[in-house]
Amino acid sequence: MEGPSSGAPAARDGPSLLAAGGGSGAETDITREMKTHFRVCRFIMESGVKLGMRSVPVATACELYHRFFECVSLRVYEPYLVAMSCVYLAGKVEEQHLRTRDIINVSHRYFNSASAPLECDREFWELRDSVVQCELLILRQLDFHVSFRHPHKYLLHYLLSVKALVNRHAWTRTPVAETAWALLRDCYHGPMCIHHAPQHIAIATLYLALNSYGVEMPVGEREWWQVLCEDVTKEDINAVISDLLQLYDMEAKCI
Amino acid sequence: MDRDLLRQCLTYHGESLFNTLQCEQTENPDFQAVASDLAKATYERGGTGEGSPLVEQFIARKADILFCPTWKTAIPREEELADEEAAEPYAIMPPAEAFMEVPFEERRAMLYRDLERGDAVVGRINNVREYGFFLTLLCAAGGLKRDMEDLELSALCHIKEIPSTGSHDDPLSYYQIGDLIRAGVKDLDRYQEKITVSLLPSSLCPRLAHIKLGVIAREELPKHYSRGLRVADDTRETYERLLRSCHGYHNPLVVEYLLGRVGVSDERPPSLMRGLQSKHFHEEDFASVIRKKQSASWALKCVRSGVDHFKHGRHVEAMNEYNKALEIDPRNVEALVARGALYANKGGMMKAISDFELGLETCPDHRNAKKYLCQTLVERGKQLQEQEKFVTAEGLYRRALSLDGSYPEAQAALRRITDTIQKSIRLREEAVAKETEKAKSGQTSAEKLRKILKEEKRMKRKRKRSSSSSSSSPSEHPSLSPTSTASSRRRSKKRRRKRGGSDRGSQRHRRRSSRDDGTSRRKRRAGEEEEEEEEYPAPPNTSATFLYRPGFLGSGSGRGEGGGGEDDDDEEEEVVVDDRRICQLYSLSAASEDEGSDHRGGDSSRSNREGRKGKKDREERSFSSDGTGGRRSRRESRRESSSDRSACGAERERGKARRRSNEGRRRRKASTSSLESQRSRKSNVAAERPQACRRSSSVSQGQQPPPPPSSRRTSLDGGRSQSRPGRGPEQRVEGAGGGDGHRAQAASTSNGQGGAARPPPPPAAGGGAGKKELPPNLMDIFNKIAQFEKEKGVGPRK
Repeated sequence: MEGPSSGAPAARDGPSLLAAGGGSGAETDITREMKTHFRVCRFIMESGVKLGMRSVPVATACELYHRFFECVSLRVYEPYLVAMSCVYLAGKVEEQHLRTRDIINVSHRYFNSASAPLECDREFWELRDSVVQCELLILRQLDFHVSFRHPHKYLLHYLLSVKALVNRHAWTRTPVAETAWALLRDCYHGPMCIHHAPQHIAIATLYLALNSYGVEMPVGEREWWQVLCEDVTKEDINAVISDLLQLYDMEAKCI
Repeated sequence: MDRDLLRQCLTYHGESLFNTLQCEQTENPDFQAVASDLAKATYERGGTGEGSPLVEQFIARKADILFCPTWKTAIPREEELADEEAAEPYAIMPPAEAFMEVPFEERRAMLYRDLERGDAVVGRINNVREYGFFLTLLCAAGGLKRDMEDLELSALCHIKEIPSTGSHDDPLSYYQIGDLIRAGVKDLDRYQEKITVSLLPSSLCPRLAHIKLGVIAREELPKHYSRGLRVADDTRETYERLLRSCHGYHNPLVVEYLLGRVGVSDERPPSLMRGLQSKHFHEEDFASVIRKKQSASWALKCVRSGVDHFKHGRHVEAMNEYNKALEIDPRNVEALVARGALYANKGGMMKAISDFELGLETCPDHRNAKKYLCQTLVERGKQLQEQEKFVTAEGLYRRALSLDGSYPEAQAALRRITDTIQKSIRLREEAVAKETEKAKSGQTSAEKLRKILKEEKRMKRKRKRSSSSSSSSPSEHPSLSPTSTASSRRRSKKRRRKRGGSDRGSQRHRRRSSRDDGTSRRKRRAGEEEEEEEEYPAPPNTSATFLYRPGFLGSGSGRGEGGGGEDDDDEEEEVVVDDRRICQLYSLSAASEDEGSDHRGGDSSRSNREGRKGKKDREERSFSSDGTGGRRSRRESRRESSSDRSACGAERERGKARRRSNEGRRRRKASTSSLESQRSRKSNVAAERPQACRRSSSVSQGQQPPPPPSSRRTSLDGGRSQSRPGRGPEQRVEGAGGGDGHRAQAASTSNGQGGAARPPPPPAAGGGAGKKELPPNLMDIFNKIAQFEKEKGVGPRK
């Protein structure tokens, strides 16, 4: 199954990027892999925006990617090709069909910025074939479990509930919704979606967003987050937040 | 940076955040601008719990994004849709404080803080007095979602605030203790904790205006309230369980809906990652832009190869490439222009014009598109002019001039046409009077003649039947009786069908002629004579028919106008479709011929415009000059080659034909009018194909070799014959086609003769030229054959 990666642009450009990020030999394999994943997820998100993908399909693409590399080694498969196929597959899973041609175009431009679009020639069709082949590989690797529960739905409902607790004028003044949504999207740079429950992620992002603006919430017998999710603890929230903040630190190191 | 927001944040996080901020945002001039202001105040930790240094660091680092005024993009869609309650596109949850068990006092204070004038509330009447009634507030019905049932809030609804129904004096008599009332908050005294409500719709704020005030039923209570009651009853019910039980939660589009509700854009999603800020996204990196560019370049590639095909005369391939290009990029200017040019070359003026126009729409400065469009418009205008569609033609000229004011041809044409229009108006007026008196006598004589002819034909047909069978070649003889009868029957059927078409055509003519009755007397007479002879009743006053003949002449495209007066292209289209069908009914070879000789058609149409040279060209011209010329000649040639049988029959008929020749000629001459209609119907066939077919056949008549790309031709043949499995062997088909052809031929010859007889022959009289090419005795034979065939054709109708 090595075949698919041979024709991808990632096969040309990926390694060089990897090498650039590799830096000193002191780095452990783990952190190097994390950085690679971070970059590839950044690629997925950028492509997602350029392809006009909604947030949920992008999240699915990232989760597909993370779950795929949970089971296999980064050395065996070209991560950028996997990412392209994940985007394609996520479009299908989340009912926002994308065309391989667009995916290839956007990726091509991502790797060769300001280059002319690909010609409709053999190379293009080989790329397309490899994306489709890799999609099948992902499906088999994940045993066809490709639909996930994302925090997005929870977060939006939580936002409405929390909003009702706050004075409406204070709420409209404070960009909590944007911040929470941004945090939620950003958390897919890492494999958090695998390690934390979606409700916890939703609550943590909302918590951090409220905290960032110092929005005061009414306090009762129970905290608002305890109400929204029964089993979440302060530790859970802190764990998610620290994972998330780590990703922001990573950005400075990676890019 | 939003100072107020930053201050709110600092108040919450305390001094340490301010210090971190100063470290992290030293580079940020925005922060420096507000820092001194913020530094004045002292910040004590107001927030709950211990602050996390990590979080503070995060806030400090991202402060430029978080507190940037442009970060706040959301414009929450506040107006609650009227059907949101019923449809529940998302899970409508009870207020969270119902689960939180916030202390009574705090909740009450919060409510007085947050309730506002214009909100809708629901309450139960607990007391009715003469000056109004009192409500115990249960819940909010819009604007605010709070749990207020147990807050012991009482609100007064004054009698003035109750809309009177008119018939009763006391509006209060409607209301009883225990009624559920939905009301708008009219006033709120936060200090004395007094709430007054109103039942007047004006008390609601505008975005809640759709809410109806007054008494409501239990079922009309807001969903969040009734769900809250369920939670209160069942202590095991948690927020999450309730959330999942709501069917709005399972709405597959719930995320999109709520994003709109919250006001966050999913097209330009927010991100706190520096690399994902929307300013880093360039428009030209987006998929749609790249795709457009790529499509354009792919399409251009196709156009290039199409042009290459075109230059080598492979017009079908060229067209395929252009169409492919337009499939890839529907608005590709180059492809549109190239295809338009190809259409124009083939005489498809309307298609060419629409292509050019579309091209210009996309790229208004395209030089070639403009140039070609001008030329095509003028060309088309000339065609229309020759068909007497002056108004449309004038419009086209004007359009051409609007594109290129200095285009001399268009200017000249416009000048000419305005003259012509005025002249024709005058002529029309003159002609109207004469028309009417002529009508009666013409009609009656025509009818008499028709009757006589029919009698004669019937006799002759019987004779012909026997003669044709005996005359057919001996090899055919043994198996003759079944096949020949079958084929003749089929033939007659076919003919009848065609007849129907021509009938339609003549009807159209009638319609038009009644409109166009103002033309010169000479022309009118000619038309009349033509009328008289056709088998069907044609109106005597189709004077205009003659006028149309030049239409087939000048353009060389042969795109004649079948019916419909000036009015439209729609009708024309319809006719075109009709024609295509008829064309298909014709022979296989006709279809293949027209495909095969495409390029030739293109050439000749051009040369036609320039004035032709050489014998072949002259020939072409003569035939194309009157619409069916090509077709006729094809049939002639076919007759030559295929049917000894009918030739023999014709020989036998010769004597008779000669005898009748005098009246026959007159008759024939007259028949052109109906033939005209028939012809025009045929000639109307959509631009490229039939025309080319005509031309090519005229070529083959002059003993030219068949068109070169024979392989293509056969493949096309195959397709065609497949589509009509019922089709017999080629010969029969040709025979069937011939039947029609003879009539047409008769017309053409008589046309030629008539042309000679008439004082000023119509410009480049088609028939005359054709006659010149043929030996006179052959011509004679054809005449007779045609005569004969025509009669035979009439037979089945009776």
